[in-house]
Amino acid sequence: MADIFPPLTAAQVDAKIKVDEKVDYSNLPCPVPYEELHREALMSLRSDNFEGLRFDFTRALNQKFSLSHSVMMGPTEIPSQSSETIKIPTAHYEFGANYYDPKLLLIGRVMTDGRLSARVKADLTEKLVVKANAQITNEQHQSQAMFNFDYMGSDYRAQLQLGQSALIGATYIQSVTNHLSLGGEVFWAGVPRKSGIGYAARYETDKMVASAQVASTGAVVMNYVQKISDKVSLATDFMYNYFSRDVTASVGYDYILRQARVRGKIDSNGVASALLEERLSMGLNFLLSAELDHKKKDYKFGFGLTVG
Amino acid sequence: MESTISLKVKGKGKGSKGASSSDDKSKYQVVKEWTNWSLRKAKVATHYGFIPLVIFIGMNSDPKPHLFQLLSPV
Repeated sequence: MADIFPPLTAAQVDAKIKVDEKVDYSNLPCPVPYEELHREALMSLRSDNFEGLRFDFTRALNQKFSLSHSVMMGPTEIPSQSSETIKIPTAHYEFGANYYDPKLLLIGRVMTDGRLSARVKADLTEKLVVKANAQITNEQHQSQAMFNFDYMGSDYRAQLQLGQSALIGATYIQSVTNHLSLGGEVFWAGVPRKSGIGYAARYETDKMVASAQVASTGAVVMNYVQKISDKVSLATDFMYNYFSRDVTASVGYDYILRQARVRGKIDSNGVASALLEERLSMGLNFLLSAELDHKKKDYKFGFGLTVG
Repeated sequence: MESTISLKVKGKGKGSKGASSSDDKSKYQVVKEWTNWSLRKAKVATHYGFIPLVIFIGMNSDPKPHLFQLLSPV
């Protein structure tokens, strides 16, 4: 994995251009948050593929509070030194509790082996949001935590990120015109003493979204999403690491139909994958996932059911 | 005899110097120890208490759900 550190913030302030007749530059829309820069592309191209059985049951006790039980059975991959993939069959049960409020969001999930994953999002004021994300395990020194402080201005967003083991980062994104927004990030990590800076740009219209991101860790990401109609969108993605000379390009589609959602993608690494989510009836969703890795000869198929 | 006396004096000098440097060090050490201790306790508290906290906040939101709804599988 070339890009260990998630994008953090950095300083790139673009001065506002003088007022134009066509565009009202003093009244630009607020840009998307920096971590959601590639939101449309990730929706189509990020593979939620899983292997084995997945069963999720969500029980809403009232409008804000719900409990979830989920069972997953299937082989999990273990990173191995040799080129062969080693898979070990596992089964686990996860219990979760969610509280959704416009001002406070609490999501907690705990597994049978004692791993807790917690997410908290609190709106301190209208403009300032605090988010916290933690994965806590029973083993020593394996836990991770991250705190974000987001400030939303009229046409910009700034974020400060603090992580355990001395990780500090900041991101800033600004709307430059109605369609274009530019942003950047800077981060400093204490444990491997590393610091980095990155820049990003995003151009969106009603029909398409194009975004690009460059970071000093060597990662270059560019993607383009075209919305053909309400139901169909096509996306393409290009990832390049100029230190390790790793290149990946992928093309995918996303059909959002009334009762189903199909996503498929093909990769330059020889991976073809597809995911089908079908709504059988109110609150009952059926999932089918397939991922064929022709290079490594690794074929994964999964099915699941989501209730509630 | 003279050598032993001089050794003793040297020893005392070193001892006093050592004590002052360890005092300076110990303030920093104490702060570090306290933050490590509090982080460890916070981690354990979050690990055991986060889900009960969410359940507590959820059960006290309105409309208030019954305890039966929490425990029954349907």
